[in-house]
Amino acid sequence: MDEPTIALTINIVSVLLALAGIFFYIAGTVGILRLPDIFTRLHALTKADNLGLGLILLALLPHAPDAFYAVKLFLLWVLVLIGGATGAHLIAKRALRGDGEDIH
Amino acid sequence: MIARPPIRNEQGARKGANSPALSARLLRFLPRLILFTALWLVIAGSDPSSWIIGLPTVLFATLSSLRLASAQPTQSALRLGGLLRFLPFFVVESIRGGIDVASRVLRPRVRINPGFQSYRPRLDHPGARVLFLDSISLLPGTLSADMRDGVIEVHALDIGSDLVPELQRLERLVGRVFGQTLEEDGA
Repeated sequence: MDEPTIALTINIVSVLLALAGIFFYIAGTVGILRLPDIFTRLHALTKADNLGLGLILLALLPHAPDAFYAVKLFLLWVLVLIGGATGAHLIAKRALRGDGEDIH
Repeated sequence: MIARPPIRNEQGARKGANSPALSARLLRFLPRLILFTALWLVIAGSDPSSWIIGLPTVLFATLSSLRLASAQPTQSALRLGGLLRFLPFFVVESIRGGIDVASRVLRPRVRINPGFQSYRPRLDHPGARVLFLDSISLLPGTLSADMRDGVIEVHALDIGSDLVPELQRLERLVGRVFGQTLEEDGA
């Protein structure tokens, strides 16, 4: 394959990955709107965001100017994963024990 | 927030032996400092002016990490072999988890049967427990909702299927990352 073809292939793969990522973000949002309670909504948030962000970062990866930037993208995913999963656990814990604020 | 009592009393007891305590503290301090410095470098880049924010942030991160970890002094040795087995599993399960939740909420009628199930993990290392708790929430259909007295309350989108085999599989993989081997069947 010559160089323009390779660039075109990379761009097509990137666009497909980004579209897939957007799909899971939308699915996560639909989940928050349609699911009935705090626990099931947390499911939608943690899983759909994990996969959505992963796919979008994967789409950006071939366009990273250097390896440093690629590491940064990967690191962003790991940090959001840790933050999201830990946050979901803490929200669920407070809701379950009923000792948080603003509980219905 | 409740004020927490100081948890570093084991160091106060060793005030007499100054130099070994100091070197032990340095040994606990330095790896964290290096880790957070590297993290900041990756996030903010090499621009020197970023250290105006970066230096205090790195120091605060190091100190709070030390303070939170000092309750249980443990040998944290991540096993590369265990990590290499865990990562592909984690990626595959993340994809399954995302597809699972998307397919449940995008139907004309949301297909869920939510409920709780208790699970008692056999992991010893505190870091392994944190990884286990966080991984449960990223696995298809499960969310770690609470952990009390060594028992995890797992919330499931579909309580109809038995969660225990999946949880045990995840627990074994997490155990291997921290060098703990768990038997095939829950004893």
